[in-house]
Amino acid sequence: MTTTDAAQAPADGLGDAIRVDHFVRGNVVEGGAVEYRSRDLGVAFATPELRLDDLVTPRTELPPLLDVPVAEIIDFLVACSERLVLDRNVHLQEALERIVATNVLPRRVIENSFRRAEHFITREGLWCNVESNFANPAALDGWVERVDYHGQHGALRAFPPRMVHMLAGNSPTGCISSITSGALVKAVNVFKMPSSDPFTAVAVLRTMADVDPDHPVVRSMSAVYWRGGDERIERALYRPQYFDRIVAWGGGDAIDNVIRYLGPGLQLVSFDPKTSISMLGPEAFTDDAVIDEVAEAAADDVTVFNQEACLASRFLFVEGERSGVERFCDRLQARIAVDRDLGSEVAHPLSIEDREQIDMLELMDDEVVVWGKPDGRGLVILTRDPVEFHPSNKTANVVHVESLEDAVRFVSVATQTIGIYPSAAKSRLRDRLASAGAQRVVRLGSAARHVMGGPHDAMFPLQRFVHWMSDEDA
Amino acid sequence: MASALEYLTGLQRDPNRFAASSSDLAAAQVAALDERFQERRDRIPLLAKRARDAGLERITAREDVVPVLFPHSVYKSYPDGFLANENWPGIAKWLGTISPHPIATLAWDEVTDLDDFVVRLEAAGNYLSCSSGTTGKSAMLIAAAADLARVRVDAVEVFAWGSGVEPCADRRNLGLAPVVVSPRNQASGEGLAEAFGLPGVPPYRLEIPPITVGRMTHMVVLRKAIAEGTARPDEIADFDTTSRERAEALERSYALGAEALIAARDDKLFISGMWNALYHVAELVRERGYAADDFHPDNCIYVGGGLKRAQLPDDYQEFVHGTFNIPPEREFQNYSMQELNSGMPRCRGGRRYHVPPWVVPLVLDEAGEVALPHPSGALEGRAAFFDLSLDGRWGGVITGDRITLALDPCPCGVAGPTVHDTIVRYADLVGDDKIGCAGTVDAYVRGLS
Repeated sequence: MTTTDAAQAPADGLGDAIRVDHFVRGNVVEGGAVEYRSRDLGVAFATPELRLDDLVTPRTELPPLLDVPVAEIIDFLVACSERLVLDRNVHLQEALERIVATNVLPRRVIENSFRRAEHFITREGLWCNVESNFANPAALDGWVERVDYHGQHGALRAFPPRMVHMLAGNSPTGCISSITSGALVKAVNVFKMPSSDPFTAVAVLRTMADVDPDHPVVRSMSAVYWRGGDERIERALYRPQYFDRIVAWGGGDAIDNVIRYLGPGLQLVSFDPKTSISMLGPEAFTDDAVIDEVAEAAADDVTVFNQEACLASRFLFVEGERSGVERFCDRLQARIAVDRDLGSEVAHPLSIEDREQIDMLELMDDEVVVWGKPDGRGLVILTRDPVEFHPSNKTANVVHVESLEDAVRFVSVATQTIGIYPSAAKSRLRDRLASAGAQRVVRLGSAARHVMGGPHDAMFPLQRFVHWMSDEDA
Repeated sequence: MASALEYLTGLQRDPNRFAASSSDLAAAQVAALDERFQERRDRIPLLAKRARDAGLERITAREDVVPVLFPHSVYKSYPDGFLANENWPGIAKWLGTISPHPIATLAWDEVTDLDDFVVRLEAAGNYLSCSSGTTGKSAMLIAAAADLARVRVDAVEVFAWGSGVEPCADRRNLGLAPVVVSPRNQASGEGLAEAFGLPGVPPYRLEIPPITVGRMTHMVVLRKAIAEGTARPDEIADFDTTSRERAEALERSYALGAEALIAARDDKLFISGMWNALYHVAELVRERGYAADDFHPDNCIYVGGGLKRAQLPDDYQEFVHGTFNIPPEREFQNYSMQELNSGMPRCRGGRRYHVPPWVVPLVLDEAGEVALPHPSGALEGRAAFFDLSLDGRWGGVITGDRITLALDPCPCGVAGPTVHDTIVRYADLVGDDKIGCAGTVDAYVRGLS
């Protein structure tokens, strides 16, 4: 990383580095001063000099959204979403051009996810979210009276927090839900963008500023980039005097970095790294028509964001007759290999290590069968036990088990979504799956579809974001 | 007439073995590579598969071998579950896919644990060494008796060439590092002791129980059990207790090692160890009031391994050398790896690592897929080597290292291929900005000490 004096740096960035702009409480700060390299593709980009003071609001100031009713915030968010239309939105168009250089996802998948952006924010969805998170949503707008069993009176307010959101890098439009969550709880927000996409959050916030540059939602939002783990910045910024919550995605180094700064007054709300799976009962493998239908549904779940997403299925536990299972594997490989809305025909090829393990399994075990090649077009590997690598880049490990009940032992605290066929089997399995640590069962093929207002990571995050302030007359 | 393979591998004791340039060696190396390939392709199942996939029939240029080189991760590709479930036939079967010699069929139900498995295999002529992986999984490297015989000689030749110390069997031998028990380490240790040590004087070794393969893999097995939710808290607590006790025993052994060094300070010494251990012992020696002047002026020191991510002050080498009175011109460095069977000693004149003629170096692209064109001069990229001397496994390895390979003569005056002193692991170069919602249960396993 090199640092250049902002005054000397050309406005369009350092050399060939892609310009990354910041958005700080309603204002765009042009990039070009500090150069970084993106994590996955090693592409150079240049941000503005980061001024930490601008990211922090003194606690003597009340949050800008405090007295804005949730209904009005939702009106504003919905008005903004009407402008999140790729063909008419210059900010999204610009972000798309830049993001294709830094992100592993192919252009068309990013484009398709941008085209869905306008549907991410709906009035019904936002209200559902508020109502499932808060027993009494009025606590967001003011002090709500309550009386205990002894007749003692009190009042309660879900007071706006000050938050840092560490955005995930694997789904470009993921930042939209972080931005709306931050707005719904009226927080003062800093969004720390990932190196694989330091663009979309700013594009969305600029769209909001186009709707109303002085709106309190806009004045509550900043989106910036710094290298995750940069001690100089994080040691200074991650303090309870400045922030109440850090919301983070992922695990490993990213979380370990943050954990060091937690302490009294500064809490972590983490969306943990997850693996998703599928479970298919014997009904799936009885005749060819059903096998075709089930393979298509399973392929839909496997290929979400070319398997970069946590809800993309990686292991498919199957119970049933061997020849049907093998026909299913064959169909599944064919269906994984096709172009779809959120997955491309060709993803990145498998890593050398993964290829090595697949070769070795094939050499050692006659029961292991492989369909497809490790070239990123889609590969299915049929085994008796789950493989020890993490299937990715459109790789499905079909695990032939005695019974679905037997497969529950492979479910852990890291298991997120489980797509089940036939869907009636969900109710039979869901308690044991929850006990094993899983958080969501769905019908096979609908991992990427949600009932509005549901929990994430087995919690309702909005109620954990807010500062529950109590006024008591005991 | 000797074949190209016999000719190149026969140069092991030749004092001028590093003199031939890369282009001078080309014809013999290509012929020897093809000889190895033809002889091994049907005997190593994984090689057979690779050759088939690549459609490779003959090797007519050095870079032809790239599609059939094994990534270093091959030696870690055994399923962890085999260790956890003590599936000995499974491990033997896995070894069979990478070994040119048949793996012995043992009385599987009599095998008590991994260490016992290794001992029994050894008795049957299959020598298994494990690397102490810096992160998690150990590499398992199968070797043949011929490889160990060669290591005994190679260790001596490499050290003598790199340090300028003549093997005259005239030194007191002190080993000051916890050593992993493996046939390879044993062979090199014995070779060095015999060549440099006083006859009839047994080498001093740190007074701690040896580190066995079973002990090294215990942590890997426990991690897997934790991830699967089958490990019980008592087991984890016991593991931590044992780790702490071992760390304390190691500390005590360093203190005894320092005493032994001080007691032997008037003798001419052959000191061996790893930087981390040597540094700690040197500190203890200095604490007790001894330094360079108290030691013999003709001492020498053999350092194995890298830093293994140990945190030491920047001047650690000077500190160690200064403590034991090692003359500066005896500074010895060697570039090698467990996957190979030969060392590349660093010269004192040019500070480059010299590649022996029976090791074919190649520079690949970062992905390790193709050889970069390299007609002359220096070139940076992913290191790959083919060690023609290996008998017990395939000699071709794609490493995890980024190197600069030079084909021009070294400033020291020797013309053979050299590796610049700028080696880094690709694994140490990746960023820390990885954030996504997808991930594995590994993130839920807190570190084991």
